[in-house]
Amino acid sequence: MTTLPGVRRRRSRLVWRNTVVGWTFILPNFAGFAALTLVPVVVLFYVAFTNWNVFGVADWTGLANFRRMIHDASFRTALQNTVYYTVLHIPLTLAASLGLALLLNRKLRGLGFFRTAAFFPYITSIVALTYVWNLLFSPEYGPINGFLRAIGIAHPPGWTTSADWSMPAVIIVGTWREMGYYMLLYLAGLQTIPAELYEAARVDGANAWQRFRSVTLPGLRPTTFLVAVLLTIGSFKVFDVILLLTNGGPGQSTLVLSQFIYQKGFVENQFGYASAVSIVLFAICFLVTAIQFLVNKRRNA
Amino acid sequence: MKRSIPTVIGLAAAASLLAAGCGGGSSSDSDSASGPVTLTLAGWSLSTTPEFKTLADGFHATHPDVTVEVKEYDAANYDTQITADLAAGSAPDIYAQKTLKNLYTYATGGQLMDVSDVAKKLGNSVGGLDAYQVDGKTYAIPYRQDSWVLFYNKELFDKAKVAYPDGSWTWDDYVTAAKQLTDGLKAAGSKAVGTYQHVWQSTVQGFALAQTPGAKLTSGDFSYLKPYYERSLDLQNAGAQPSLGTATTNKLTYQAQFGKQQAAMLPMGTWYIATLLAQRESGDADKFDWGIAPAPQFDKSTTGTSNTPVTFGDPTGFGINTAIKKSKISAAKEFLAYAAGPEGAKALAGIGITPADTAAVTDTFFALDGMPTDELSKFAFAKHDTKPENPVSKYTAGLQNILNDAHTAILSGSKSIDSALGEAQNRAKNEVLNQ
Repeated sequence: MTTLPGVRRRRSRLVWRNTVVGWTFILPNFAGFAALTLVPVVVLFYVAFTNWNVFGVADWTGLANFRRMIHDASFRTALQNTVYYTVLHIPLTLAASLGLALLLNRKLRGLGFFRTAAFFPYITSIVALTYVWNLLFSPEYGPINGFLRAIGIAHPPGWTTSADWSMPAVIIVGTWREMGYYMLLYLAGLQTIPAELYEAARVDGANAWQRFRSVTLPGLRPTTFLVAVLLTIGSFKVFDVILLLTNGGPGQSTLVLSQFIYQKGFVENQFGYASAVSIVLFAICFLVTAIQFLVNKRRNA
Repeated sequence: MKRSIPTVIGLAAAASLLAAGCGGGSSSDSDSASGPVTLTLAGWSLSTTPEFKTLADGFHATHPDVTVEVKEYDAANYDTQITADLAAGSAPDIYAQKTLKNLYTYATGGQLMDVSDVAKKLGNSVGGLDAYQVDGKTYAIPYRQDSWVLFYNKELFDKAKVAYPDGSWTWDDYVTAAKQLTDGLKAAGSKAVGTYQHVWQSTVQGFALAQTPGAKLTSGDFSYLKPYYERSLDLQNAGAQPSLGTATTNKLTYQAQFGKQQAAMLPMGTWYIATLLAQRESGDADKFDWGIAPAPQFDKSTTGTSNTPVTFGDPTGFGINTAIKKSKISAAKEFLAYAAGPEGAKALAGIGITPADTAAVTDTFFALDGMPTDELSKFAFAKHDTKPENPVSKYTAGLQNILNDAHTAILSGSKSIDSALGEAQNRAKNEVLNQ
């Protein structure tokens, strides 16, 4: 009994020590996160209400930046284009990655090769990718239009050089690039569906389509939810593909919100206004993701 | 004991991270008025842009007390990086103004010292000096003034049996020649086309703004661009020059189009002279007979060698960081005066760069190996009225972005000239000029 206080002291020292060790391990990462992400994000919320142009003082202008946004036709164009991209890119990528995952989830000769091939675009440098895609899309000399002409389409689209086709072109490249990554998530999801369920369905006489509808899809629900959330945020924030492929053009046909922010901030030095637009983009992402979580929760209940 | 090792590693990692974050930026501020002075100078891509080193060494030779250290920045992100360094207080004493677009932001943001006294001493021979004024004060001194001229390939002209430019060309003459060249070259079995106007908005809008009487960027009235775009579309449709779509999707470079003889003419800035000479040596460009002619003109009133052709080009200048130590200011101002004056001009001309004082160096310049020797080339190089592409104002950056959208919309054929320019005017009015 006399040893108890000693044990307690030793135990509390152990707890303290564990805490310190834990914190020191987190610290390098957290310090970087705080300096490069957390603090700038907090500052962003202040700058958005000022007319800061990098140098000198930032005057508090209240809601002026947000009022300006309402009347800014370019902002509206950027918002519309972002929605256009998102609405097409999400379902396309979902379907493509699920399809790929189903195809590559069976015993197949050279399976590793095909899986790698599908994943390859995701890890290849985006600069190289867009360079090659731009060559492929070239209206007069590109192989894509060469093929279209060969199968009898006399006036194939101008792709990245036409205001009507530039967004579809960007969506195609975006989908092609990202489907490999989401395919991996789906492949992992498919492994978690117990084989007994398929056997049972087969015994009950379900055909392939019925098995897919009633076993695979429900089994993949958590994965689909994750993929949908990631895709939504990624689509709203799309930047690199567009910057490199079309630079927002021709005209403003592929101008998206991220690029609008970049232009206003880093090209025109209107950091106050750019920050305000960033907040709107953040709010949109937040809202859509929150809705997705709510819907998911209700379905699970 | 077991626990202490990870603790130490963790602490060490954290400490080194903090040290890395805090390190740098702290410079010793000893105020020594006498003795040797070291100035720091911001430049970009030092290996391909030798001008900074040349000026730094040349200045040191005449002012042995002063050493100029060049600090390298990335060419493509120069203004972004300088802005970051200025905001952090770690920018060099003297920094080059790569374009005029951001001068207004630097000057009104209190990042550039008033150097009107240097400007006053230099006088009229230095081109582009006025471009650096904001509210009557001069904030930078140009050392280099490129102007747009017309490069042409004499061998392709001969092959197509078209007469060389003679300095009397208006833009209509240029379009006619480009079409004749294209036809003539095709007949001669060559794949080259008449001309190559690079994808930049400058190739159309720079000339239109500089040459059209009464045209003003900040007026928000862009109708002056229309005839220039009609001619560009005409050239594209006639196949006398690659379309904007072809040029962007295939990432055509003007250096290859002209240097590898894909196009017989090239409207381009005089900076390309140095590049072309270097590429002839390295084999990146063919060795052919070439020349430069004055840029085609708006109308006949400014053509011919008895007149001064009007063209455009932004000067490149040096400004002094307001955070410079007091003891260094006079040395820095001397450096600015040296770079803009005749001595600096000669040093620059020796490496193929167009100095701000062009008349003083024409002979040095044309003595370089590989340069054309005809009179018109010398005239085109030495004599022109060069107007700024980006007149300094609060609105310039915003307006140029809008006009770039119009540029791609028109040349891609996505919009008609009238609707694209009308939209640009509306946007200028509602998004930029009302700010």
